[in-house]
Amino acid sequence: MPTLTEPSIGAPPPIVPSPPRGYGGGDHNDNTGDSKAAASATTVRIAVYIGMCASTMTFAALASAMVVRRGLNPMDWHKLPVPPLLWWNTAALVLSSVVLAMAGRAFRAGLRPRLRILWFTGTALGTWFLIGQAINWKFLADQGFYLRENPASAFFYVLTWAHAAHVIGAIAGLYYVTWCLLARPFAPLNRNVLEVSVIFWHFLDVMWLFLMAIFAFWS
Amino acid sequence: MEATTLIARPSLLRRIFSTDHRTIARQYFFLSLFAVVVGVCLSLLMRFHLVWPREKVAWFEAIWSVRAEGGIMTEELYLSLMTLHGTIMVFFVLTLAPLNAFANLVLPEQLGGKEMAFPRMNMLSFWITVASFLTLLSACVFDEGGPIAGWTAYPPLSAVGAVSGPGEGLGQTLWFVSIGIFCIASLLSAMNIISTVIECRRPGMSLMQMPLTSWNWFVTSILSVLSFPVLLAAGLLILLDRLAGTSFFVPGDLLIAEQHSPHAGGSPLLWQHLFWFFGHPEVYIAILPGMGIVSHIISNFSRRAPFSYRACVWAPVAIAFLGMLVWGHHMFISGISPYSAMTFSLITMSIGAPSAVLVLNWLGTAYQAVKLEFTTAMLFCMGFVSLFVTGGLTGLFLGQPEIDAYFHDTAFVVAHFHMIMGMAALFAVFAATFYWFPLMFGRMLDERLGKLHFYLTFIGAYALFLPMHFAGFAGNPRRYADFTNFDFFQAGMPLQRWITVTAFAMGAVQLIFIGNLFRSIFSGAKAGANPWNGPTLEWNADAEIADRGPYEYPDAGADAN
Repeated sequence: MPTLTEPSIGAPPPIVPSPPRGYGGGDHNDNTGDSKAAASATTVRIAVYIGMCASTMTFAALASAMVVRRGLNPMDWHKLPVPPLLWWNTAALVLSSVVLAMAGRAFRAGLRPRLRILWFTGTALGTWFLIGQAINWKFLADQGFYLRENPASAFFYVLTWAHAAHVIGAIAGLYYVTWCLLARPFAPLNRNVLEVSVIFWHFLDVMWLFLMAIFAFWS
Repeated sequence: MEATTLIARPSLLRRIFSTDHRTIARQYFFLSLFAVVVGVCLSLLMRFHLVWPREKVAWFEAIWSVRAEGGIMTEELYLSLMTLHGTIMVFFVLTLAPLNAFANLVLPEQLGGKEMAFPRMNMLSFWITVASFLTLLSACVFDEGGPIAGWTAYPPLSAVGAVSGPGEGLGQTLWFVSIGIFCIASLLSAMNIISTVIECRRPGMSLMQMPLTSWNWFVTSILSVLSFPVLLAAGLLILLDRLAGTSFFVPGDLLIAEQHSPHAGGSPLLWQHLFWFFGHPEVYIAILPGMGIVSHIISNFSRRAPFSYRACVWAPVAIAFLGMLVWGHHMFISGISPYSAMTFSLITMSIGAPSAVLVLNWLGTAYQAVKLEFTTAMLFCMGFVSLFVTGGLTGLFLGQPEIDAYFHDTAFVVAHFHMIMGMAALFAVFAATFYWFPLMFGRMLDERLGKLHFYLTFIGAYALFLPMHFAGFAGNPRRYADFTNFDFFQAGMPLQRWITVTAFAMGAVQLIFIGNLFRSIFSGAKAGANPWNGPTLEWNADAEIADRGPYEYPDAGADAN
């Protein structure tokens, strides 16, 4: 039964005795020019949190630009209809987040069959969200709301594209774990991917709810 | 056969695409060195054109057949040189050298570790930076030459495409793509440095036991994470304005080159807000690592702990925090509300407090030195302090809306930021190069040549940029390609000629450094394990760190605070 043992956040890595080395300015770790030490689960998680901060700043910049642009020139701001499918998409994303959180619990409990079912379901819902977004873009284009049509539609496209770009990256992680669950023994590296995929997926979920609130109630 | 001979030498490809942090540090160092040589050459060409605008130079035409027809540089060529100079110096020199090059070189060992948290990501961020640099250079090859909108790329000029001037078509688009790529590289690098500081410290080493260099790289990386995404977002929007016809930044009813712009309703002011939300922290991304380097080296060559270690930690944190809140002082004359201007002005002025704390710490450390050693590295640190004070004081003028109304877009601003962001930051890079050269190449740089280089560069920095302030006082505007067309500027031309001649002399002086560098790489004196008797772990890998500060000198008996 696979178990996950991780050092707590902030715990330092174990002491590794330094190999004898000269101050020749050469490669530091070995003479292959490569460093092979794999990052710990905690380190990977910290990196994902930092990445989430960077993504938050990107979305904050875009959302601020939207607020300022509308405030500076409200005359050319034409409200965009919220496509009905967008609500279903939102539901799918929230549900996928819940299911993936349950999958994470199953993983930690070592319940492999349950993990598989939950993970495949969460991944399928995430994929549905992405496909649904594409359908929404086509729906709006059919209604005559193009990128350059008015600033409200321009910001809608930009924000949803930026979110979808993040989702594509996250889904790649979900599919990688899916492939590992189906085809390979569960290696330590894959546990890292699983953990951070779930964390990042929750982040995208929260970010989407923020964007949805803007589209539905403000924009 | 001995075991050691069985270890195969890595292939050239593996050495180039190495994940070793010191190799990557050297790669960043040489990329910055190449960039600074290009940037300085561009600035010399600009200075030449400013005082001899109608001088025919045969090889100008050989390089720029369209923009320097007949060997005379056109004003558009001047503007494209200016854009490239600013972009290269800000992004590829001042961001890369103090942070990426030297953090990669010593951060893991300073923390008692062996490697950065993510070695492969480290390699990736370097090569993405190279891709960004090549994209930037390509912006000047295609189309009708390089973009002309300056490193701040203000719309509408930068957002309406080729109609606004030569180089504003594909050249400007590639410029934005290059900056976007650079943002991604910087984010990956910052992510790596932050993770390394948080997670890869030796057991027992608390944050308050980290050397001040590590602290400043850490704070700088946090600034990078908070500011580069904003530039990335703004770059995405402006690219859509250029390529997809949106109107985020371009107002309506524009008539450009007798053509009516199809855009409507956008705001150039919005770009300025987004750009400077990145742009001002970028100033601190350039200078904060220098502050850490100076604190560290002054302590080493004073043989005592910094006057107040805690103050040296928290002052840069305060500067970084306040630096995130002052972007509006770049927009005093852009039409922002006077109340906003006053708020931005007050916060800007308040940055003087932690800056003064740092200066007093540096001077206090040296004043109370157990044994003061004026090595080249130490001299460059003292030069940094001088330039930092001078540049900081001129910043107080520009931080006040009433005075900025006169100085804005004059040579005074150019002199100010060259003094504090350019020269001061480069002095820190010189200091770091002399100090850590033994770790980089296993040899020592020549101290006599180093001191000669320092004295000439220090005198040159003041000889070049102090008169530039006077040119600003006299009302000489920045970004003008030719002063000779205006009677008003004729009285200032001798001053301009002085600045140009000094700039060429300064350029020539840098050849001493380049010569010293390459000579020492191949035939410099062999360095010992700890040539400066440094107290930190990059020199003493096996030293105990429990219950001791990072700057405890066994022979000094000084407290580590």
